[in-house]
Amino acid sequence: MGRNADYHRTVSKQYRQLLKQCQVNLDHMDRELPPSVEDFGELLKERGVSRREFIKWTSLMTGALMLPPIFNPAVARAAEQFSRVPVVWLHFAECTGCSEAFLRTSYPGVADILLETISLEYHETIMAAAGDQAEKCLEQCLHDFPGKFLCVIEGAIPLGNNGKYMRLGPKGKTGVEIAKEVTAKAAATICIGGCSAFGNIPAAKPNPTDCVSVSKAIGVHTINIAGCPPNPVNFIGTILHYLMFRDVPPLDGLGRPVWAYGKRIHDYCERRAHYDGAEFVQQWGDEGAKHGWCLYKMGCKGPYTYANCGQVRFNDGVSWPIMAGHGCIGCTEPGFWDTMAPLEKPIHEDTFGGGQGTIDTIGTALLGVTAVGIAAHAAATAIRHRDDKSETK
Amino acid sequence: MEHIVPKKEWTVAIRYNHWLMAAAIFILIASGFYIAYPVSLSFSDKVTEMNDIIFWHILAGICLVFLFIWRIYLMFFSRFHADWKDFFAWMNVKNSLKQVKFYLLISKEPPDHTHLYGPLQSVAYGGLLVMVALIVLTGLILTGAAGYKSGLTGIMYTMVRPAERLMGGLAGVRLIHHFLTWGFILFIVVHTYMAFWYDVIFKEGTVSSMISGVVFRKAHK
Repeated sequence: MGRNADYHRTVSKQYRQLLKQCQVNLDHMDRELPPSVEDFGELLKERGVSRREFIKWTSLMTGALMLPPIFNPAVARAAEQFSRVPVVWLHFAECTGCSEAFLRTSYPGVADILLETISLEYHETIMAAAGDQAEKCLEQCLHDFPGKFLCVIEGAIPLGNNGKYMRLGPKGKTGVEIAKEVTAKAAATICIGGCSAFGNIPAAKPNPTDCVSVSKAIGVHTINIAGCPPNPVNFIGTILHYLMFRDVPPLDGLGRPVWAYGKRIHDYCERRAHYDGAEFVQQWGDEGAKHGWCLYKMGCKGPYTYANCGQVRFNDGVSWPIMAGHGCIGCTEPGFWDTMAPLEKPIHEDTFGGGQGTIDTIGTALLGVTAVGIAAHAAATAIRHRDDKSETK
Repeated sequence: MEHIVPKKEWTVAIRYNHWLMAAAIFILIASGFYIAYPVSLSFSDKVTEMNDIIFWHILAGICLVFLFIWRIYLMFFSRFHADWKDFFAWMNVKNSLKQVKFYLLISKEPPDHTHLYGPLQSVAYGGLLVMVALIVLTGLILTGAAGYKSGLTGIMYTMVRPAERLMGGLAGVRLIHHFLTWGFILFIVVHTYMAFWYDVIFKEGTVSSMISGVVFRKAHK
């Protein structure tokens, strides 16, 4: 019992120190960041978000970031600073689905207000400026906030034909050139979505434009908010972490924040009990599907996929793919379009490129050939060594 | 005048290691295929299944880890016969060719008994140990990912986790794990056949030697 109490004292002491450090960091950010355009409190009131709803949201984010409740006020303060961080949002080879996912919602909550008021110095899709004016915005930002702005990249970078598959802006720069120029001056580079993080769909076979991830194309370390599209919570949480601790959150081997991508879909899955009990949906709409059984045999890639979708869910926390009755497609993993295909069949029914099914077919064939070979060898041995017995006598 | 002399070929440790490894591998193959192609086995009210079978699979897998470590230890530090050199018997090209010819029934002259293993055996058994190392490596990554990562498996998981990235995520790890299984199946079939074949051709008691430890060599006096 004594040891237990000691443990609790040590842990709470560590957290209090961390909180103190966190407040120092937030004070620092307060001085450093450019002033906010709109008052955050006013903004919330205008949008009809009550103080209570805001506090509820901060507890959600504190929990998602795996911090104890004493950090609620710090998260609230970081949220107030959120829209003061200058952001440059670049688009390369992608579908803009990630921006769409972040900006369109049915009931704008705190997260949406944050993403709408985010200080975008440059965002090709939603900025009013175009052509030379847009280019000027980017140059202005690089000039005004060197080493202070966050560079957010959506989309893979084509390297084929010396990068000429992608030319952007009035000066016709290639994607590689722009990425190099901007990331060199950024405080940190955040890759939004599977394309910029791992190449994914633009880089899927046969990849004629030779698309690769941002980190591979220009050789910088990136924070990869993987997903297709990723959950806005994971993006906001990463920036809140940056504000509170003046550092990027701990990342896994693939550059994904551990707080969001530390566990598999399978580990959080609400249908997990049915997997453990071997109760599987065999066909869309069968009895198992009606009972909400495991979707593993319908091609769910949850066991191979690191993400927190089941915890934070999508569309204002209403639902997520597995809850809605479809398996996970593994979109947060590198090269998912190739490695997880076909998306609605288990990996062992992979039709191309040597999945588990191919291995089993080859294995069975080899086993057959071996059996025939053994039979032939045994027969041949019987003939060839027929006289051995008489020799040994 | 010739007579037959029993010769100690396998130490007790090697024999235990061999059969325990064989048992572990048989359990692993059977449970592994169930995990790859799960079906419901509810014969009674009790639902056994996936979770239990994964547990037995992991238990046998951890046994295999230790059996592998034990085998590597014996290879270098056995008090009776540290056989690491015997795994390089294939480097004698002339003898290797001799054995291939003998196996293909072209010649009736068996290869020289220079090492504990013949040249082809040294390749097969060395390859088997490499396969065990790889399947144990991928298995430990999958074990850790499945949540068995407190204590010992946790330490092992931390050590092997970096390899996950090289294999392109868990999907790749699992594919390699599954691929290696077939290597074991083919090995078992060929190994069993060749053991019996040796027994028939040489009449030295090859099959029983892995139980008794003794082969019967002909000696001329």
